[in-house]
Amino acid sequence: MKIRIDKAGCVGNARCAAVSEELFPLDDEGYIAIERIDVPPGKEDLARRGARACPERVIEIVEDDS
Amino acid sequence: MTKASAVSAAVARPDHVPESLVCDFDMFHDPAYVLDPHKRIIDLVENAPPVFWTPRNGGHWVMLGHAANFEAARDTDSFSSEMVPYEQVEAILAALPPDTPHIPRAYPINLDPPNHAKYRQPLQGVFSPRTINVLKDSIRELARELVAEVADKGECEFMSAIAEPLPVRVFLKMLGLPLEKFAEYRALVKEHLSETSPEPASAILRLQKVAAAMRDTVLERRDNPRDDIISLLWKVEIDGRPTELEDIENYGVLLFIAGLDTVMQGIGHGVRHLAQDLPLQDKLRAEPALVSDATEELLRRYTFTVPPRRVARDLVFQGVQMKEGERAMLFLPGADLDPKEFPHADQFELKRDGKPHIAFNAGPHRCLGSHLARVELNIVYEEMLAGLPQFRIDPERPARFHGGHVIGVEELYLVWDK
Repeated sequence: MKIRIDKAGCVGNARCAAVSEELFPLDDEGYIAIERIDVPPGKEDLARRGARACPERVIEIVEDDS
Repeated sequence: MTKASAVSAAVARPDHVPESLVCDFDMFHDPAYVLDPHKRIIDLVENAPPVFWTPRNGGHWVMLGHAANFEAARDTDSFSSEMVPYEQVEAILAALPPDTPHIPRAYPINLDPPNHAKYRQPLQGVFSPRTINVLKDSIRELARELVAEVADKGECEFMSAIAEPLPVRVFLKMLGLPLEKFAEYRALVKEHLSETSPEPASAILRLQKVAAAMRDTVLERRDNPRDDIISLLWKVEIDGRPTELEDIENYGVLLFIAGLDTVMQGIGHGVRHLAQDLPLQDKLRAEPALVSDATEELLRRYTFTVPPRRVARDLVFQGVQMKEGERAMLFLPGADLDPKEFPHADQFELKRDGKPHIAFNAGPHRCLGSHLARVELNIVYEEMLAGLPQFRIDPERPARFHGGHVIGVEELYLVWDK
C-alpha cells in the first residue's frame, strides 16, 4: 500500500499526524512534510484512518495490485 | 447584559435572486437563533436551500450546506476575505495625515492569496502542533486552578468563572504580556463581545486600545528578547523584510480578535452539551482517553463561527447567480450539521469513523490557532470532569446566547452536588 499526498493542498490541519505521527511526518510549520509514503506492512489501517481524517481530502490511498 | 434584540430591517430582493432562494434569517438577532442557536441551525438545514439569500443585515448570501461551504472556502478567487480590497485599505491609510495613530489590521485573516501567505507564514511555526504541545502543562495548571476555585461552591456561572479567564491567561502567557494586564485585557474582551455588529470607528478605537496595552512589552522585547511570541515576531521576516512595531501590533490584534472570543465560546458550547448529557460525562470520567474524540464531535455538533466573504466576481455558484460585491457568509455550523455529510447530524456520536468536520474552516484560512484551541478544549473538558462531580444546567437559569460571526454563550449557570 502507498499513500499519495497533494502536498500543495495541505493547509496544516495536522489531523493525519494526530492519527500517526510516524506515518505522516510534519514540517516545522505543522504541514505535511512528504508526498509519497510506502506503508509498512501492518500499518495499513492507520494509513487509511490518517487519510480519512484529512479535512482537505488531499491524502489518497493507493492499494497494491494483487 | 442586555442587548438590542431587534431584528434588522429587510432590504428588497435583487432581481437576480429568485424568490425560491430567499430565507428570512437575521444572523445577529433571529429570535429562535439567539434562544437556542444550534436548534435553529438544524431547522435551517432541514428547511432552507443549501445556498440561500436573506434580506436581513443589508441582504447577503448564506452558504448553508457542507458542499457549498467546502467549495466556497477553497475558492478564494471567487470568495474574497478582503471585505474591503487590500489596495483600497492601504490607499486609505496612506492618505491619512502622517501623525495619525497606527490603525491595526488583523492581517492575514482579512487578506487573500498571495498577500495572505506572506503575513501568515511567519506565524505558522509559532502555532504549529509541536510548539503548542510545549504549553500543555501550563494550560492544564491554569484550568485546574480555575476549576478548583469553584469546586466547593456547588455552582458557577461557567463563562465568567472559567471559559473566559482561561484563554485570556493563555494569551497573556504566550505573548509574554505581564499578568497585571489580565484585568485590562478582560475588560477589552468584554467590550469586544458586547458589540454584535460593530461600527468601524468604535472597532478601530478598540483595536488601538488592544495594541496600546501591549506596546511597552513589545518595545521591551525588541531590545531584550525572551521566550515568548512577541520576541519571536521581532525575529521573523514578512516577505523578506524585518518586522516593524506596526507589524507586531497587527499580529497582536489578530491574535486578540481571533483567539480569545472563539476559544471561550467553543468551551461554552461544549460544556453546555456535557452539562445536558450526564451519561456522556460518566463515560468520559470512566475513560478519559475518549475526551479527544468528544472534543472533535463537540466541535462538529456545535460549530460556531461564520466567516464573511465578499463575492469577488459575477459567477454561478452551485447553480446560484451571484454578483460581484455581494456578501456571502460561510455558515460553517450548517456545513457540520448537514445530514448529507454526517448521518444523524443532529445526534452527538462519539465515534464517527474519523470523518472530519470543518469547524476550523477549510482552505488556506484554516484556523491558525486550531491546534491551540484543541489543546485548550481538551484540557478544560478533562479538568471539569476530573475536578467536579456530575454538573448540570441550573434549571432556574437557562443558558443565554448571542448570534453573529461567532455564535456565543453569554451565560451558562452550572450546578453540582457539594
